[in-house]
Amino acid sequence: MHREPLVDGDGWTVGGVALRSRLLLGTAGYPSPSVLRDAIRASETQVVTVGLKRTLASGSDNGFVAIVREALAERDARLLPNTAGCRSAREAIELAMMARELYETAWIKLEVVGDEYTLQPDPVELVEAARVLARAGFVVWPYCTEDLVTCRRLLDVGCALLMPWGAPIGSGQGLANPLALRALRARLPQATLIVDAGIGAPSHAAQAMELGFDAVLLNSAVALSADPVRMAHAFCHAVQAGREGWRAGLIPTQDFAVASTPVAGQPVLLDGEP
Amino acid sequence: MNAPISIALDGKDREIASGTTLAALVATLGFGPAAVGTAVNGRFVARGLREGLQLQAGDSVLLFQPIAGG
Repeated sequence: MHREPLVDGDGWTVGGVALRSRLLLGTAGYPSPSVLRDAIRASETQVVTVGLKRTLASGSDNGFVAIVREALAERDARLLPNTAGCRSAREAIELAMMARELYETAWIKLEVVGDEYTLQPDPVELVEAARVLARAGFVVWPYCTEDLVTCRRLLDVGCALLMPWGAPIGSGQGLANPLALRALRARLPQATLIVDAGIGAPSHAAQAMELGFDAVLLNSAVALSADPVRMAHAFCHAVQAGREGWRAGLIPTQDFAVASTPVAGQPVLLDGEP
Repeated sequence: MNAPISIALDGKDREIASGTTLAALVATLGFGPAAVGTAVNGRFVARGLREGLQLQAGDSVLLFQPIAGG
């Protein structure tokens, strides 16, 4: 059942599109298309990522496309195609053009892999691809690291927002470098920031939101969990809780104890007696 | 009858009739025009341009379909 977020009026926009949910969901790796559909519903997401693959298969997609489009229609949600697997700016640009035609959207999650082990992006190719695609009218969502300088260059060439990793894709490690993410938030106060990749538990998503990030994107943490629908529900609430915590204003951490019950003036039962 | 030419289709050699357009190839493979994306020699070819593109010997053709992704 569709539910509105906890607090009205806390929406955000990307490329002129207003969104309520701050949880973005990947569609890969689910046990079945019906579980994917139910997870999309339980997550209350409004943006799901999809991909493209070279294939000469007979044409059956196991109902994936129809399932996703049906789930999206229920929620006024949208597709965000990715350029997963691309290793150069040229490849990513060509694939993005194809995605725009196939999926009928100018949104593109830009991925340009620089290392096969970590799957971290190649910053040089990423910035070049972003430059070309932004100029061609795409709304570019770049998957990047937490490197501040690269992030600035991505914004300079016209990216709509930034999507720094929490940790390597699918690793479930959570936020491997929260200090760097905190610095990104502080140094780029006007940018829309989304933690993408590496999230494993709802607490990781809440942590990202408590840092002041605008949204989180995750896939494996839901798809590969023992109960993806229940996990999607958990992440839905974790993102909302983290967001509300950030809006409420977290107390600063201290190196020493600060009594929560005031002790001055309180009666002491034993006055110097053993 | 046009002499066949050899192209690479998804990395595998394939013989097609000389003069075959990209649009005709897609249809021959059983795909509707909107079901796949196409690239020739590493470059995206928009759906509207497939009819006007005659494939040449040695061309490398790739077809792409939507899939789940993260």
